[in-house]
Amino acid sequence: MRTIDDFTRPLEYISPMDGLLGSIFRDWVENEVIPYRREFDEDYLEHHLIHPPFKKLLGGYGLQRMIFPEDLGGWGMGQSNYMCGAAYRMFEEIGRADTGMAMAFGALFWPLLFIALKPHENRRLLEEFAPMFCGTTEAVFAALCMTEPQGGSDIENVEVVKGSTIQTTAVPDGDEWVINGHKIWASNTGGLAKLMAVVCTTNPGSNDPRDIAVIYVTSDTPGVTQGSPYEKAGMAADKNSDLWLENARVPLWYRAIGPGDDAKYFGEIMSTGNMGIIAWITGAMMNIYERLQDFVNLKFYRGRPLKEDDAIAGVLADFAANIEILRVIGYQSARMCDRHDLYGPLCDPGLVAKTRAQRNFATERFIECTGKVMNLMECYGADRDWDVEKHWRDAKMLQLVEGSKQLCQMEVARWFYECKTL
Amino acid sequence: MSDPDLFPYPASRLGQVDVGLASSLRDLVEKEVMAKRPELKEDYAQVLLPSLRKILTEIGVQRMFWPEKLGGEGHNQPSAAYTVVSALEQIGRADTGLAFLTAHNLALQAALALEGNYQEEGCSAMAPLFCEGDRPVIVSFVLPVFGEEEEAPRWRGKYLQVQAAGGKDGWVLNGKGVRPTCSGADADLFGVLCAVKDDEEPAFIAVPGDLSGLKRGKEFKKTGLAASRNAELTFDNVEVPAVNCAWRGEEGLFRLLSWYYLGLAATGVGALLAVYEIIKEWGDTRVIKGRGHIFKENPLTAALMGEIAKEIVMDRLLAYDLAGILAEPETYGDAGSEGVFVAATMIAHHVYGSADYTIHRTMELMASAGYAKEWQLERYWRDVKTVQCYLGAAELAKHDYARWFYKTKTL
Repeated sequence: MRTIDDFTRPLEYISPMDGLLGSIFRDWVENEVIPYRREFDEDYLEHHLIHPPFKKLLGGYGLQRMIFPEDLGGWGMGQSNYMCGAAYRMFEEIGRADTGMAMAFGALFWPLLFIALKPHENRRLLEEFAPMFCGTTEAVFAALCMTEPQGGSDIENVEVVKGSTIQTTAVPDGDEWVINGHKIWASNTGGLAKLMAVVCTTNPGSNDPRDIAVIYVTSDTPGVTQGSPYEKAGMAADKNSDLWLENARVPLWYRAIGPGDDAKYFGEIMSTGNMGIIAWITGAMMNIYERLQDFVNLKFYRGRPLKEDDAIAGVLADFAANIEILRVIGYQSARMCDRHDLYGPLCDPGLVAKTRAQRNFATERFIECTGKVMNLMECYGADRDWDVEKHWRDAKMLQLVEGSKQLCQMEVARWFYECKTL
Repeated sequence: MSDPDLFPYPASRLGQVDVGLASSLRDLVEKEVMAKRPELKEDYAQVLLPSLRKILTEIGVQRMFWPEKLGGEGHNQPSAAYTVVSALEQIGRADTGLAFLTAHNLALQAALALEGNYQEEGCSAMAPLFCEGDRPVIVSFVLPVFGEEEEAPRWRGKYLQVQAAGGKDGWVLNGKGVRPTCSGADADLFGVLCAVKDDEEPAFIAVPGDLSGLKRGKEFKKTGLAASRNAELTFDNVEVPAVNCAWRGEEGLFRLLSWYYLGLAATGVGALLAVYEIIKEWGDTRVIKGRGHIFKENPLTAALMGEIAKEIVMDRLLAYDLAGILAEPETYGDAGSEGVFVAATMIAHHVYGSADYTIHRTMELMASAGYAKEWQLERYWRDVKTVQCYLGAAELAKHDYARWFYKTKTL
């Protein structure tokens, strides 16, 4: 019988670590996640079931260390030109089991990209935070806190509003920042994050990108409060909550890079985030393919296995074709994020726009073809036990994180058509 | 609250009974379901079951079609199709699952008690359950599904889940791993399409939920429709009186399904009316791209909101068109005819395809608020998708269309 490994991967440029990472993650999801995932939705508040596999992956296997330099106890992947290729494989394997876990895993690295990547590596902050992640076998999460109640995705819309709508303020006072504000929806909040990168303004109302500041705050800083996790349609493993900062004080050198560069390198989060979303989507589709294989072999229609009906086979073919195509796009996206010599820097607006386009296309295809698969499975398509509906619920959210679909479209149009007023 | 007349429908076709019932239901669900939702969400025991009880018994929806002599309302003319749509829209606006269950109840009443096809014996046997006392009757169906073996009795390619033996002296029913359309854990009456031993013509048999030998499995988890606590069934030599066989053959089943699909189409429209209210509030109040840019005034988002409104208009008109077809059997044919059944199937599938599309677009406009339970939209998204799955594979429904419109011989 064909398996998910029969879908094409661009062997010419996969990461040298691909095989090892793939087997570690495959083993982990099959033993630690897939047997328990049908109960994850009800575990969204406490993570009694979700946390143990995370502890094993992040703390036990040490994946939370991977972006830190080797001399600080990390794996040095932040300096590798296979970082995104390797991440793609990891993301896809986790996404196969649970895209909520994949999102939480990927989002843990977003705040660290500001300080771990060249040419803007911040050695002092890496040394400051490395012990938190590298000196423990407990799972440690980080969160990038962008979105605010009044503007939603506007914060992510840096190119247009240029930070002018940010209401979380950072005011220097002696050798400290004093931060006040209210963030919502950041992945890995809800009491999970020990470290948060908070997007602030140093000059409220300003549209000067130099006034956008990314400042690190630890969860035990006085004045920092994470709310309870929101109730959502799915993705229980990705906790999101309110974050309140009331006169939270951190050292001035907790700013990620510096004036202008904090905003400039924000694009790195967008590019890698877009790539990650494609990986999570294709991972989920791989698992849907597996469950669909089981279904169409088990169930009969007109005296034959369901897969032998021509009308059904047409839907099955389209689903497989989408996996085949999206996987190639996803690996290409990862390679574009890795090879700055060929495709430009990670933060380049063109790269952001192109990965946005790829991610938009992938999520659209996922929604359309997975919706058809659920329908094809008739009443069983909505059953938790067949797993497809969970992926359908979870992965819809991947279309909508990091800004709405329309924000993605505007970024793509703005770059490809050089629009001036969008 | 939205203006119910904002989305056009053939208001002149509705009688006073229809308007009054819709108004009562609107008041009821706004008070009992929508007002309690922020705190109690989809709580079955505290919100959904009490609301269902009030819909079915206090307002009396479960008595609607049965004749007055049997304790019913006698509202059983074909024009009651308009009543069904206007009522289920209101319930569906508040909760898709409640409307889904009510659609089952109304479809069974219509199949048995509709003027012109009145089933004297069946009504006499069934009506007391619905009309006496104040207990809500949760109705579920057992219809053909995909099978798990090559050779087993089928109807139109799908497998009959329960085998019936016997006949005029009563029936004995057997089946394992039986999948009902809803409420396997709670239903009071199952309408079961059975394979009949040594006979090619299936039988539709009404099976009270408390009969000996009818066993219910554990409630299983599913995408949506919290009002329907579903579970698999086992029929272990369940003995059913002969009078409970409502009909044999396709005509009765087509009639049941035509009315059922009418109810489901109206349920989907109700969900869409709720979706409109949610995106309307979002569009009126949300600011994007910095200061002063109201969401609904942006050309892109306005176009998408316009498309959402267009889909709702078309779906509502289609649901009422189907009501018009069922209301005039002398013009369009009986609800038990294949042509009407096919039209009903097409309209139900169309409405749910459109509703699924429309709610996806609405979610995309609302980004994270679209999937946060706080904003309610995600519930309609899950519910509508679940009903769409229960309607059956769109690709296979097209076989029904082809059989009728192209007279295919082998499908």
